[in-house]
Parts: sequence; C-alpha cells; structure tokens
Amino acid sequence: MTVKVEKIEGGIPHTTIMIAGLIASLVFLYLTYANVIMGTEYFAFFGGLATVAALIWGSHTIKHLCSYGIGTGVPSAGMIAFGSGVIAMLFATKYGIAAPIVAVVLAAVIGLILGYLANNVLNMRIPVMIQSLVEMAIIGALVLMGYAAMMTGSFELTSLTTGNVQILGLSLPSYQASFLGGALIATAFMLGAIAIQHPFNACLGPNWTQDRMLMLAAECGFLSMITAAIMSMPLISMSAALVSLFVAIIGWYYTYAKYIELSKRDAAAWLESKPIPDVEGH
Amino acid sequence: MESIVFGIGITALAGALATVAGAAENTESDIGSQGDPNSQVQLAPQMGYIHRIFNKAVAGEPPAYGLWIALGAGIAWAFMAMQINPILAIVLGSGIAVFVQGVYATTAYLGRTASLAKFGQPVYVDILKSMTTVTMAHAFVAIFATVTLCHLINAALGHPFPLPLLGIVWGIALGAAGSATGNPFYGKERQYQNQKFGAGVPIAASGNIVRYAEAGERNSLDNGWFSAKLGGPASGVCFGLIVFLELWRTVLFEEIGAGWGAIIIGIIIILVFTVIDRYIEVWARKNYGPYTKPAEEASS
Repeated sequence: MTVKVEKIEGGIPHTTIMIAGLIASLVFLYLTYANVIMGTEYFAFFGGLATVAALIWGSHTIKHLCSYGIGTGVPSAGMIAFGSGVIAMLFATKYGIAAPIVAVVLAAVIGLILGYLANNVLNMRIPVMIQSLVEMAIIGALVLMGYAAMMTGSFELTSLTTGNVQILGLSLPSYQASFLGGALIATAFMLGAIAIQHPFNACLGPNWTQDRMLMLAAECGFLSMITAAIMSMPLISMSAALVSLFVAIIGWYYTYAKYIELSKRDAAAWLESKPIPDVEGH
Repeated sequence: MESIVFGIGITALAGALATVAGAAENTESDIGSQGDPNSQVQLAPQMGYIHRIFNKAVAGEPPAYGLWIALGAGIAWAFMAMQINPILAIVLGSGIAVFVQGVYATTAYLGRTASLAKFGQPVYVDILKSMTTVTMAHAFVAIFATVTLCHLINAALGHPFPLPLLGIVWGIALGAAGSATGNPFYGKERQYQNQKFGAGVPIAASGNIVRYAEAGERNSLDNGWFSAKLGGPASGVCFGLIVFLELWRTVLFEEIGAGWGAIIIGIIIILVFTVIDRYIEVWARKNYGPYTKPAEEASS
C-alpha cells in the first residue's frame, strides 16, 4: 500500500467540493436545454460554466489522488479522465434530455472498472484510486458534454453531427462542418485534459494552498471557455457565440487577477530585477 | 505522374515546415525548463540553490504541444468554416493558441514558485515578463508551422482526417520529438556544466544546477541561446525527418498492393534507422566512453 505523503489541511473538504461540482455542473448543463425549449442559442454559454464547475472539482480530485506520491502522474490523470469520459459522453448523447444523467452513470461504471483494474489487477493499491477514477471519468464526460453544448447549442447527438455549409448563399447541412465531423471534439479533449491537470501540477509543492489552486482551476476553465467560444462561431449564431465569449473573458480576467493576487500572498518575495538572495549555508 | 510530383513537392514543403517547428519547439520548451530538465529546476531551491531560471511546467511537452497545436488547428478550422482565407485563419488560430500558451506559462511559474516559499525562492517579475514573451514568440513559430503542415496534409494531399484531429496527432509527435531529442542538450549538459563530462548526476549534485552566467546570473534566455545552437536544430531534423519520411512513403508507395506498399516501406525505414542508431551508439561508446574509474596510482 502506498503511503500518503501529503495531507490536505484545513480548507473545504473534498466531499463538499465533489457534491457542489457535480450539482453545479449538471444544473448548468440542463440550463443549456433552455435553447431547445425557447428555440434560441443564447444559453449555450451555460455549457462553458458547466465545464468550469467540473474542472474545479476535477483539480481537487487530482490533488486528492496525487497526494499519494504520484508526482509524474499528474498530466496522465487528466488524460485518463477524458479518455474514459469521452466514451460515456458520446454514448449518452443518444438519450436526448436524459443525456447528462446517463453520462454520469455510464462514466461512473467505466471509472469503476478502470479503478478495479488499476488497484486489483495492476496492484497499485492506492486507497482512493477507485473513487478518484470514478470521479475523473464523470468529470471528463461532463466537461466534454459542456463543450459540446457550448459549441453546438445542445447536447444531443443530432446537433453534434450536423453543421451548416454556405454554398453560393445557400445553407446546406453537412457532417463535415459539425462538432464531431470536424473533430472539434479532439480540441475539446485536449482543452479539458490540460486544464484539469494544470492547477495541481502548477501549484504542487510544500506551500500548496487550496484557495490558490481552485482559483487557478477556475482560471483554466474560463481560459478554455474563451477558445471554445471562438470555435463555436461557425456552429451557432454569431451573437450567441459572442455572448459566450463575453462571459468567458469576464470570468477569465477576474480569476486571473485573483490568482496573481493569491500568488503574491503566498510567494516568499515578489521581486523586480533583483539578484539571487543569500541563503544560509550556500 | 504529375500528381506524384505534386505530392513530393508538398512532402518537401511539409518536411521543411516541420524542421522549423521542431527547432522552435525545443528552444521554447528549454527557455521554459519544460520536460525532464524541469525536475532539477524544481529541486534546486529545495537544496538551497535559489535561482533565476524560468520554471513553466504546464505538462510534459507531448501533451502540452498536443493542446497548442490542436487548439491552433481547431480555431483555424472554425475560421475556415466561416469562409475566411486559410492563411489568415491559420495565423489567427496560432495567435490565439499562443495567447493560451502564454497564460498557462505565467500561471505555472507563479504557482510553482509560490509553492516553494518555504525554501525562500522569490518570484522574479522581470523573469516572468521577459521569458514568457520569448517563449510565446517561439511557440508561435512552432504552432504556425505545424498547423500549416497539417493543413497541407489535409488540403493538398487529401488526408481524410479533419484539421483538429491532425493537429492533435502531429502536436503530440512534435512535443515527443523535441522532448526526446532536444532536452538532453539542456537537462544533461547545460544544467551540469560544473560536473565532469559524462559523469552523470551523482545524488550529492542533485539540484546543484549552474546558476551563474558568463556575466551576472544565468536566466533562461541564456539557456535558450545555448539550446538554439544544438538542441533546437537536432529536434528540427528529427521532426522534419519524421514528417518527410512519413509523407514520402505514403505518396510514393500507397498505390502498391492496396496500401500495403507504404506499410512495408515504413517497416524497412524503421529497420534502416535501427541499424544506423546502433552503429552511432557503438561508435560513440568506443570513442567517448564508457565513463571509467580513474587509473590507480602506480606508487600505492
């Protein structure tokens, strides 16, 4: 059994973050369904907010898992989250309005199988492994579904596989110009996978603080949302994409400024063009 | 015949773009101390060696470049789907991807350094400002060249994969080429110029990286200057050869045996390179190593 090398002191307990992340992300995903009900695309940005909520939860799950001394495994944790999540997400999109719930359940099953294989077949024997991999798979599925909802306006398979091509002023449906046909899902995969591992990977060390890492997670989420909003421009109406972009830029600016403030608070010193200070013994 | 000549021309152009991309990628990652040299930059303050070297650990190079290139390609794809001219679309896509890269670099440096407060490592704002912009410039060259070669593969050679998917594949390949080829010049050589050549890094020397330059204190621009000389071009040749040979075998031999021709040529290329690598390794060992114990004194 692996020894826990770092412990989480104080701050918000992991269970609270997990429950809040799951609920917030599901609620935001369902708010994008207002697009279908009202026949507009302006609610697409809620998909982006769903990814931010899930990524904050995900970064803390990685911290929870990697506190068992898995130093170099931090980026790969992001990859396995999305690798297992993409299967659940794609399969779930067939179920219409039930898609987010089906994605969560299916991802949990996939995560359970992967966790069992890692702990009992590969003999990793990390106590939180199964729970963490279940969480990671759910997060991966929710984040990908959030990007899909944000870029196409809906989380249903038909809207993911059809786009529009303008030929001589005529708008024709085309698989090639869609979220799946244009492989934007590949970009969404990498956007989420790097954003989920970066907060802990960047903040690890003896002076790790929870609020700084979670603020960075939100920053990474909004930064990815900015680019997702730009990529949604050919798939949804320009004004709806601009609403997403506007929300993302405001969220990103606020969290980035806050993160720099928190880094300033935690850093040993904040120096401008100064030489290396003398440290005792060297 | 004409289509083959056209294909070879595109192959040569893609290979040239890949060479530029590889050189820029390695220089960028070395200025940011990304990849395996990062562990020593991260360790140094914990051993008491406070330094002025940029430490932007976003991820390993392959996943990080997987994102930058997939992002550049995804945004370029989106702009092209909006009927924007491909060159402008690729420039805009690369520009936005570089913005994301720059933000990730600053947050990584701030986060890592703030978490080392216990050991007295300060945040140097001048390092943050001057190094981030230089890595962004190099990243732009790498992303633009790679997305362009993906577009050539897709549009000129008719590859069935859409642009973002080609981006993720070639982005990971680019990061892997730079990580495997270029990093030793920085991580194994530049950081340990104060150790005997070929001695490896003994435990006692862990974290004792070179922190002072020819004049003043060394920062990562000095490392970029060093790795641009050897590590960058080596990575460029590596990635350029990968792209060139991969496309070359496909363009010339795909027609033979319903695609099997290209696969067989691919296996032959791997075998030829295995023989070359083995020859170079044996030759280098004979001439430079292995590192031997110093000869016993005659008097003792």
